[in-house]
Amino acid sequence: MSEGALPKEDAVLRVDDLQKSFGGLAATDHATFAVERGTITGLIGPNGAGKSTLFNLISGFYEPDGGTVEVNGTDVTGMEPYQVAEHGLIRTFQTPRKLEGMTVREAMLVGPRKQPGESFLTLFTSPGTVAESESANLAEAERILEDFEIDHLATQPATDISGGQMKLVELARAMLAEPEVLLLDEPVAGVNPTLAKKLKDQIRRLNEQGTTFLLIEHDMEFVMDLADPIVVLDQGHVLTEGTPEGVRNDDRVIDAYLGGGT
Amino acid sequence: MTVLGYLANGLVFSSIIVLGSIGLSLVYSIADFANFAHGDTMTIGAYSALVTFGAVGGLGGAVLGLPYGFFLALVVGIAVAAVVAVATEKLIYEPLDVDSIGLLITSIGIAFIYRAVIQIRFGSDFTRFDVRPLRPIEALVPYGVRITLHDVAIFGSAVALVVGLHVLLQYTDLGRKMRAMADNPDLARVSGIRTKRVKLWTWVIGAGLAGAGGVFLGLFNQLAPRMGFNLLLVIFAAVILGGIGSVYGAMAGGFLIGMINQLTPFFSNVVEALPIRPNWLATVIENMITIEYANAIAFVIMVVVLLVRPNGIAGEGAT
Amino acid sequence: MSLLDDPKAAFADLSRPEGWVLGVSVAFVLFLFVAMLTGALGPTYFLFLVGLAGMYALLSFGLNAQWGFTGLINFSVAAFFGIGAYGTALMTASGSPIAGGFSPLVGLAVALVVALALALLIGIPTLRLRADYLAIASLGLAEVVRLIVLNERWLTNGSAGLRGIPGFFDGWPVLSTFPEAMPGLRLEVIPGSPVILETAFWQASLNVLLVLAFAGAAYFVLRRAHRSPWGRVLRTIRSDEDLARALGKNTYSFKMQSFVLGSLIMALAGVFYAHLNLYVGPGDLDPITTFYAWVAVILGGSGSNRGALFGGIVIVTIREGTRFLNDVALPIDPAPLRLLLIGVVIVAVMRYRPQGVLPPQRELIWPSAVGGGGTPETPDSGVRERKGGGDDE
Repeated sequence: MSEGALPKEDAVLRVDDLQKSFGGLAATDHATFAVERGTITGLIGPNGAGKSTLFNLISGFYEPDGGTVEVNGTDVTGMEPYQVAEHGLIRTFQTPRKLEGMTVREAMLVGPRKQPGESFLTLFTSPGTVAESESANLAEAERILEDFEIDHLATQPATDISGGQMKLVELARAMLAEPEVLLLDEPVAGVNPTLAKKLKDQIRRLNEQGTTFLLIEHDMEFVMDLADPIVVLDQGHVLTEGTPEGVRNDDRVIDAYLGGGT
Repeated sequence: MTVLGYLANGLVFSSIIVLGSIGLSLVYSIADFANFAHGDTMTIGAYSALVTFGAVGGLGGAVLGLPYGFFLALVVGIAVAAVVAVATEKLIYEPLDVDSIGLLITSIGIAFIYRAVIQIRFGSDFTRFDVRPLRPIEALVPYGVRITLHDVAIFGSAVALVVGLHVLLQYTDLGRKMRAMADNPDLARVSGIRTKRVKLWTWVIGAGLAGAGGVFLGLFNQLAPRMGFNLLLVIFAAVILGGIGSVYGAMAGGFLIGMINQLTPFFSNVVEALPIRPNWLATVIENMITIEYANAIAFVIMVVVLLVRPNGIAGEGAT
Repeated sequence: MSLLDDPKAAFADLSRPEGWVLGVSVAFVLFLFVAMLTGALGPTYFLFLVGLAGMYALLSFGLNAQWGFTGLINFSVAAFFGIGAYGTALMTASGSPIAGGFSPLVGLAVALVVALALALLIGIPTLRLRADYLAIASLGLAEVVRLIVLNERWLTNGSAGLRGIPGFFDGWPVLSTFPEAMPGLRLEVIPGSPVILETAFWQASLNVLLVLAFAGAAYFVLRRAHRSPWGRVLRTIRSDEDLARALGKNTYSFKMQSFVLGSLIMALAGVFYAHLNLYVGPGDLDPITTFYAWVAVILGGSGSNRGALFGGIVIVTIREGTRFLNDVALPIDPAPLRLLLIGVVIVAVMRYRPQGVLPPQRELIWPSAVGGGGTPETPDSGVRERKGGGDDE
């Protein structure tokens, strides 16, 4: 099943024999793979291969029928999404989530984890601490927006920016949560080529700075250029894993994409 | 009263709840929001029938203790409820640019408007249809069943309407489209179903059945501007019990909730006979399972079902 | 608030709806004031109206903390209002079947504790539910509470209600005898129609003081809590709960906090009501109270505390205006007229201004972090440096 999976010494995310079925149909079928720390790992597969289901299982949005998920060596199987996030795994969503009534920087500020001001009591007992961390977070948010070259959007309503810009903001916000591993669900779907290139550069830059990525993407050129290794999912299980070159030339992968994977 | 007696009452009351819950469920799945004005749609049906019946009178003969004029009034009640619902959809809901929660809140406003208009016109007091009250059917009294011919009429008409709906859903083009839309609105739209039209028919059918339920409720108890709103939560309980979006679930849920409601006095007898320990628990339970709490029991069942099986008792269980 | 610091700038800052609301409110208060001075409106009644407006504003604050902040559809406002009123009444009223005779402060404490317990009881099962299920379940549970109050005579006196509730300041030093101690004043602004201020007037002004204290405290807490990381998480949950979860927020806990906070404020409104009306009955748990609060919040602007205040005033206008109309002009029963107005306002708001008249405009960022002019200085230890990711610019 997981034949072709590469050995991983320092895995930040380990998925072992994960299973999930809906109404008798196996959406995730004994999936096993790992994400090595410091990599940009791509997750590809034909439509209906179960990529999004797998993301939902890993991030705690679905409860698996069997198997385990480990983040940083901790078993997070069956945990709530916020608990999985607390262990360092942050995800984004395929469709940009619009935040009504929030400005871009406000939406960004939801990102940092464990803010003192998120405790109701602290707001009244220790407003100084709240102000301090808030200033720090705001400065950090503005710095990341600058890095992403979208600082001019900071005080724009989050609903008024383009879908591509929203994708950038989502990535930026996720970075504020300081993830050990960041799961990106189709980061460039519906994004124009210029912005897509910008996103690619940012992901690469952030990766060089130490963030591990696992990304689902349909844009083959994008994923082949960015990710290594690449995990291929077909009908809920891992078909193979390898370098972009290796995957591209793998007959089984081509079969799967042509719909003859069985 | 005997168990049979309670069961008979339950059957009659269930008929009314089923008529209400089908419409609520249809609108919930096809128009995609919890319609808090559904109870007051029932009230509209009841009062329209009241006015019609007052105007046309008996019209000669009678069936099951009910004059012909009453059946005409029933048809008018159904029609008015349907027309009002369609007008509301066209004038209010359709032009709105809000999500399903916004529609839910709007529907409360609509409910108040319906009720206020009725209350301004008819006052807040109870009224009755001008039909002669009947004595219980003699042949059944020895069994402890005290139902009148009117009750039989309610049950019979409800069964006829439900069977009619079943035929419509299963054997007509409209019914197939409605089921498709209830299952998956997006898929229905892309596969070329004119969803707006199906939605309008949903309102016609849902509100029409609610109107009939309202007329029967008025006959079973009496009429008051709050009658529908008071029943709304019981109907929601039925819809949720059956699983939102499933018409047949709503029928089953309506049947069960109606039965539980009318069987409460019987349950309270049963509880008294049970050896419940410790004693304080027995006291609490005996205290809660009384006729005063008949509706409260339905609401608690509803909340429990929402928690344990959000898809209804026949659904796929918790997700 | 800012009006006091810098009136000119504050007025210049007003958006059109704000100016409009302010204008109408000022005109309305002036109108009432003139009516009072000319003797057309009894001064005691005027203060009663102010107290009532404060009470609805409190209810709206409470609902705003739930629906406006977090998007929780709570249809059990009336239950919390009623529990607050019954909580204090049962402790203080001479007609209480279980206790009675305690100080209103004990009543206040008991009311808040009971409301807290009820909030947990309703919140624990329902806050995991989808938004529309929460609406239905909360309305159902509110009805259960109403039925219990109506039927458990040994506890609540049933449909007879509770009489003999003291004023809130009874038994306090100075304040308890303040109304009697004040001299009767006779103002004659317009010759021939004097305005007489007597004990009842001073009693009513104490009540206004009380509701202002309650509402002021609630406003202070909500304002600070809303423009903070806490309020920001709530707004994220309102827009997209899954996103908040994905970012590591324990949304159930946040929803519970918002629910409890709002419920306590609603109970506060109930406590005030009991000591204003000096009688509570099961009718005070009628669902209509819930929808009064809803109208106030969606009309004012969900998430906006100022809006809730404005909404509270509108509700009193609807309530008392219909009564007035019935007295002088139209012989229409005020009850259905109120219902009609409420219905029309709900539909009109959803149709023409779903965001409400005064939608919240401020960013939910701790004021001192954005204020103070310009961008805040770069912090010594940036978030990423702490992590040691090698983030040198």
